[in-house]
Amino acid sequence: MDVMLVIKAVVALSVIGLIAAAMLTVASRKFHIDVDPRVENVLAVLPGANCGACGNPSCFVAAEAMVSGALPVTACVAGGQQVADDVADALGVEKCAVAAVVSVRHCGGGTAASRRFDYSGLQTCSAAGRLAGGDLVCPAGCFGYGDCARACPFDAITMDERGLPVIDLDRCTGCEVCVKECPRGHIGLLAMVPEDGPIVVRCNSHDRVRARKDYCSMCCIACKKCEKVCPTGAIVVVDLLAVVDYEKCTGCGLCVEACPQNCIDLTGRVAIAPATELDGLGAKAEGFTPVAPDEQVAEEGS
Amino acid sequence: MATLQHFALLLVGAALVNNILLTRFIGLCPFFGVSSSMDTSLGMAGAVIFVMTLATTATWVFWNVLLEPLGVAEFLYIPAFILVIAALVQFVEMYLRKASPALYRALGIYLPLITTNCAVLAAATESVRPGLFKMGIEYNFGFGEALIYTVGVAVGFGVALLTFAALRERLEVAPVPAIMKGTPMAFITAGMLSLGYLGLAGLFGL
Repeated sequence: MDVMLVIKAVVALSVIGLIAAAMLTVASRKFHIDVDPRVENVLAVLPGANCGACGNPSCFVAAEAMVSGALPVTACVAGGQQVADDVADALGVEKCAVAAVVSVRHCGGGTAASRRFDYSGLQTCSAAGRLAGGDLVCPAGCFGYGDCARACPFDAITMDERGLPVIDLDRCTGCEVCVKECPRGHIGLLAMVPEDGPIVVRCNSHDRVRARKDYCSMCCIACKKCEKVCPTGAIVVVDLLAVVDYEKCTGCGLCVEACPQNCIDLTGRVAIAPATELDGLGAKAEGFTPVAPDEQVAEEGS
Repeated sequence: MATLQHFALLLVGAALVNNILLTRFIGLCPFFGVSSSMDTSLGMAGAVIFVMTLATTATWVFWNVLLEPLGVAEFLYIPAFILVIAALVQFVEMYLRKASPALYRALGIYLPLITTNCAVLAAATESVRPGLFKMGIEYNFGFGEALIYTVGVAVGFGVALLTFAALRERLEVAPVPAIMKGTPMAFITAGMLSLGYLGLAGLFGL
């Protein structure tokens, strides 16, 4: 009896298994879809994590979009440059650089900015910011309690003696964690710029210029000297604050030299020295010589 | 009329009063896994309704044609049902990809996810296996009843999932203390939602 039951159980499961197998075999033949071989090639080099960072629900859909040209070969966020090159290879198109971004700080205040009261509460920016708007008089500047430095997963941010976070661009991956963590990240105190963006304006305030000068000695005073000296029109004063158009900026450094407040810094991964050493120095940076664009061209030609 | 009323009560009972997620705590992994946004939960809810109905139909046939006549149903139904449901989902995925690319895209990655989902297995088991009695319901269904019951369970799953996803989307922007952000807050929300669903007990005398 028991043996019969075992046999029956085996038979039952085998029958179900066989039916399922037969059904699936037939289905795979009958419902076979000829996939574009290029899609399979692209799919093979994509990470296959279906992370969705590219805006597609899965790597398969992303591969289809890349083949059809709807999505650039550099679209895979997780894969970075390596995957972008592999995809370009698989599709036989020209390789191109992934537009990587890094974080920059738009404030040069720190100890140069005045505080409206002595804050001795929890030493975090978000706590300080919630207490009557924070101790910092400037409505857009850096509190300096290091939320970004603690949040950075790559240890790229350190607090310097001025009480400002200094971002090591060699370590910054552009993950945007610091921007999200910063209580003033949404108003542009920390922002993502192209990794080779050569300069950065160390001010984020749109306050009246006189008020701004009263509470911070390092601010942008909207004097427009940078705007006048820039040969490519890359730096423009908008709403009382100099802003850089990184598409146009050639990194000549004339604005850095012209700035009377010393509030434009050289930065970027191609700067003359590691970006951390240039932080806050502006035109006083060692070895800094502004190069006009025509001379730049001549240099590259020679 | 009596039958119609019976079916309607069965549907409401399965969907709301005995909600599979919030009253009986079956299928909690997708409940937390895909509920972070409305879009994904909508896809998941659609896929669950679709697969649960199909799974019950298929397991009903296998139970009555194969397992029960052989006398092995009582101890073999769990592996057999898993086998049937897994194969069925694979088959449906292939078929959809060929026949209806639009639907395939909509349900896409959620179909394989629920191949061996416990909620699907629970719904199939309860509606197919006769003589089961728990939580005040005698599970002894004919085919029609089984199907209605399964649809009810699946709709209940979808409604609970979507409600939860909507709440979580709101909570994303709420000023939640840092230590409670994310999953802890989701657990608390789920608990409260579950309390709310328990309040439905006794609806229409169910």
